[in-house]
Formats: sequence, C-alpha cells, structure tokens
Amino acid sequence: MKLALLLLTAILARAALAQDEADYPALPPERYRSGQAVLDAFAPISAQTRNSIVELNVDESPVALGAVIDTNGLALTKASELIAGKLTCWLATGEKVEAQLLAVDTEDDVALVRVKAKGLKPIQWAADQAVEGQWVITPCLADTPLAVGIISTLPHRIRPELHAFIGVVFNQYASRPTIEFVMHGFDAEKVGIKAGDIVLAVDGRAVTNSDQVRGILQDFRDGQMVRMRFLRAEKEFEQSIQLMAPKASQQEYDLFGEEGEADLSGDVSLRSGGFDQAIEHDTVLEPWQCGGPLVNLDGKVIGLNIARASRVATYALPATLARQIVIKLKTKAEKP
Amino acid sequence: MPVLQLLRPARWLLAVALAASAGQAGAQSAAPNFTRPAAPKPVPVNFKDLPAAFSKPAPTSLADLREMQARVAALVSQVSPAVVAVELGHSSGSGVVITADGLVLTAGHVGSWAGHSVTFLFPTGKTAHGNTIGINEDSDTGLMRITDPGPWPHVGVGELKNAHLGDWALALGNPGGFDAKRSLVVRLGRIIRLMPGVVQTDCAIFPGDSGGPLFDMYGRVIGIHTAIASSTSENFHVPITEFFDTWDDLAGPAVQPPIATPVRAQAYSGLSVVDDAGGCRLSKIEKNSPASKADLRVGDHVLEVDRRRIEVSASFEHWIAESRPGETLQLEIKRGNKTFKVPIKLQTQPGLTK
Repeated sequence: MKLALLLLTAILARAALAQDEADYPALPPERYRSGQAVLDAFAPISAQTRNSIVELNVDESPVALGAVIDTNGLALTKASELIAGKLTCWLATGEKVEAQLLAVDTEDDVALVRVKAKGLKPIQWAADQAVEGQWVITPCLADTPLAVGIISTLPHRIRPELHAFIGVVFNQYASRPTIEFVMHGFDAEKVGIKAGDIVLAVDGRAVTNSDQVRGILQDFRDGQMVRMRFLRAEKEFEQSIQLMAPKASQQEYDLFGEEGEADLSGDVSLRSGGFDQAIEHDTVLEPWQCGGPLVNLDGKVIGLNIARASRVATYALPATLARQIVIKLKTKAEKP
Repeated sequence: MPVLQLLRPARWLLAVALAASAGQAGAQSAAPNFTRPAAPKPVPVNFKDLPAAFSKPAPTSLADLREMQARVAALVSQVSPAVVAVELGHSSGSGVVITADGLVLTAGHVGSWAGHSVTFLFPTGKTAHGNTIGINEDSDTGLMRITDPGPWPHVGVGELKNAHLGDWALALGNPGGFDAKRSLVVRLGRIIRLMPGVVQTDCAIFPGDSGGPLFDMYGRVIGIHTAIASSTSENFHVPITEFFDTWDDLAGPAVQPPIATPVRAQAYSGLSVVDDAGGCRLSKIEKNSPASKADLRVGDHVLEVDRRRIEVSASFEHWIAESRPGETLQLEIKRGNKTFKVPIKLQTQPGLTK
C-alpha cells in the first residue's frame, strides 16, 4: 500500500481544459486567500509583532526569519538554513546588525542566535491550544504579513523526509522478516549482518513481518542509531545499526516519484521532516521564510515555522515544544 | 499554459483488477437488498446566515477575520466526521459520505464501475467496508457505498448556481494518503474560476486528496477534488452539478447484476511504470520478479507489447491487468539508443501465494 501511495503522481494532461482556462474570468490575485487585499486586514497583527522578528542573512542573502525571545537579542530560527558565512540580520527598523550562532538543537532543527541590537521586543507565546481551521499568520518585518493560512492538522509527529536505510533487503516470500541480502556500503554490512538473519525486534518492539520492520524504521532519520534483535543459527543477538540516507549516486532508489512532486510543490525546505511534533498549516512560504513565529489573531505565537514541506503543508513546532527547546538551547549556549 | 495533472493513482487500472479477484467476500454482503440510490438534492440554506465578512471582496478588519475564523473552525468539526479515505485494491484517495446509509461521493478516477470492494477509513480510525457503484469518466465523478450497517456521519450537498468568484471554500482530504497519526488535512481558499465542468480554487490539494470534498461556508459539498497544476492556486474540483448530471451512470445498472465476478488470479509482472516524454517508462523493478528475470531495467521504455504499440503507461497496465499468470508477453524495449525484444513470463501475485 505504501508504495502505491507514493506512485500517485501520474500525469494526465487534459489539454482541452488547459486551453479553456485562460478564457474564463478569474478572481484577481490580490483577492486570493493570501493576496494583498486579504493580507491588509491582518495589518494590526504585523504592527504588534514586527519588532519581534529578524530577517537572517548569510553573506547578504536572506536565509530565514527569526523570533526574538528576550530583550537582550536572543532569537530562535531554523538551524539547517544557517549555512557557513557572515551572519547578519535586518530589523523592522530598517537597521542591519550582526548576529552570532550560539547553539543548535539538531533534533528539531532549531538554532539560538544572538542579534546585536537593543530594544527588540520579545514575542509573546500563546497560552491556548491551536484548533483546526484557525487563522495562522506569518508576520515579517513589513506592515502586512508575508502570508496567511489556517491550521490544517493538530500537532503530530513528522517522519523524516529522506528515507534512511540500514541497508538490507527482505525476502518477500518468507513469512518472518528474513534478510535476503545485505546492501553494500550501508551500516548493516559494516556491523556484520548477514543474509538469512531474521529480525526479532526493532527499537524494543517485537516484529513478525518485514512490513513492521519498515514501519518502525521509517521514523528514523539519516544518522540515527537503531537497536535491533536478530536470530542467526538459532542464537539471538542484539546489534545497534546506523541508518543512512542514500547519496545522490545511489538514486536508483528513487522509487518515490519525488521528481514529479517537486514540480507541484514549489521549493521545499532542505530539512522538512523528522520533527517530534509539528502543527501542519496551509500557508504557502518559501524555504527562506521559515524560522520565524507563527501567530494567531491576538498576535500571540502558537508555533515556530520550521519547514516548507510540500504543496499542501508548512510545519510549525508548537509553542509548548519550542519553549522546551529554548531551555535546552540556553543551557547548551552557557556550557561551550 | 499550465499542464493539468490529474490526481490519478497511477495504478488504478491494475487496482481495479486486483479488487475484482479479491472482492468476492465484500461483494456477497452487499448483494441483498441493493437498491439504485436516488440523486441527492441540494440542502437549502439561508443566505442571511452567512457572516458578512465572507461576502466582502476581502475582509477588512480583525473583527471580520474573527468572524470568519469562528465559522471555519465550526465547519471543520461539523463536516470532518463524514470525510473518508478510500482504498480500492492498490489505489487510494478520498471521499465524502452524503447519506446516513453510507453513500460516498468520490472522483471517477478513484472509483470504478459497480461491484468492486472498497475499504473506507474514517478520521477516527474506524474502518468500514463497501463497494463501488458507478463512475463517469468524462466528468470524473464516482459513487461508492458503505455496505456495513450505518448510520454513518454524513453531510449535505450544495449547489453552484449561487456561487461567485471569491467565495470562500474549505477543502478536506488525505493528501499523500491516509495517515492515522495525522488524520484529515484542512485547507481554506477562494473560488478563482468557475468553468463548465471545473471549479478552480486556491485551496492547495495534492495526490491522495482526489475524491475529497470542497465545502461552501454552509458546510455543503460543492465540489470533489480532481486535478492540480504546478501553481499552488491551480487546484481543480469537479462541480457538484456534474454529479447530478451524471447520476444515471453513477447510480449503477438499473438491475444490479450478481456481483460475484469469477475469481481470476492476478498476473504479476513485478514492474511499475510511469509516463514521461519517451512514453511508458519502467520506474521500478521488484527483485525476483518476472521483470527482473527478463533483465528489464529502471529507465527502459516499453514500445510494444505483443506487437501492439504502447503510448502511455495506462495501456501497459491494461495489458498486465488483463493477462493471466503463466502467460508470456513479448515486449519491445528501448534502452538508450538500443531497441530489442524480450519475453516476460507473468507469475501469480506473490502476496496471494502465501
């Protein structure tokens, strides 16, 4: 079933329809859901939040927004967009100031930076729970938001976007999860897993077929370790194995139609999955527009925009999770 | 000029064949007291009931936005229970229940002609069984029925005769397929174009949403997701009107035939195909399959099967779906600049041999 879902992107051109489209009157783009006429109604929220936002640049190119969390210039942003280079920030006042990377939480891709500016206004976290259908606003330095949308789903775990593998192929005819062969270059080979080994448990959970093994492993990211229990020659043993995402040269694993989806989704974030919890919303953002706060109609922060993931989804770490990460990052920053 | 991309599960033709062979058990429960369903009627609404903000060219104040938010959030909880994921053989999409006894609207390319077994997945995780009733391929409309005993959560249908450009709309469905951890995905947008046979909105939809409902701000179904193009504002929905117009096809044959089609073993090739500029391209080859034994490779193009030209992947899938295990097909393959012929001997579906 899984694979079939991933094959959904077949293309059928309906040429007649496409030709017709331009012949019919259309709503002017400024009246679209996130068009300027609609964004204008959100101006009071931008007025309230724009001094709590920074726009981060690396070597003069915009890479992310940031959310100011205290009056001394600490700000949160999306870690994986901060490539090496000179880090600076634009402020709502029009000033450009320096910034410094203090600490990174790789689990959820959040970075703590210090913005060298005084008088910034910290964001206000929302206390109430987000609900589906609620307006969500992505404010920026300007008088009106970058874009708006609604909450599409309540917070849930987001799987890693890049499939990572331990590097084994299962015998599809065997009733138990039996390894048919071990792929070259992956960790299973390095730690000595052999064809014929039977998987008994993955990450502490007993398994009886290969679909269950795959089901558990798909929650693991590139680089993470998983503990597995095997049976070989009637002896049981445990082994930790590292998951690896295939490199570009191994792209014959491109079973997933990803090239097709890219056209339909526009640009997505470099890292767009593997988050503990995220609110899914339908705001259309560019990858560099992530990292800043996602606010409600009171101008309170319900989440931190963490990734543009697909045509239909932008992810935001919920406020409760983001606040826990702040505590972790501050501790990390103090102990170099 | 945008190329429209229909949210067509690539394998649906094959999936239909699978359902036919596996569908007998599900079909038997449906056979008694099957009646041809009557076409739904639009639920009348009081237009004064709509918060004023929705009728403005654009909201102009926070008060407007709060008014809209209250309505949208209320609609989401009102209509969500009736939105389902549908699984039919190897294809999957979305649908919406419109009667207490379980009539489900979906897209034609998700559904099938009468009698194929379907699994319905509700947002709560509850599963129900049923079957397809009918489709109209030209308008991409489809109808299914839950045969497990109801009553089922359901929503009313609307109409488009009072619709205008700029009307707000809510899209629900299962982009990327059903995911129990995530549940339904809700999107808000506006009607951008009204064309014969198609409504365009900026509610972003995605493969897996196919067959899912587009609601007006009264919570009535006004469209069914069918296609997208590259821009996030190019999302296309079959107008509810098309369902009324094609009801004769959707409601199935006047006299329901005995559903139990002879069980036929499903032929298995072990390869998946997609369309590209070169025609029907092999996109995946399973290990130890007829395809791997024939030394076919990902990227090969199928030019002919048994000396009949193959132009699109769907016709190749027809060939496999309509062949039997043990049959040998003569393929003409293009690999790079080389063209050669190779036989492929089909097997039985490995899943069925267990």
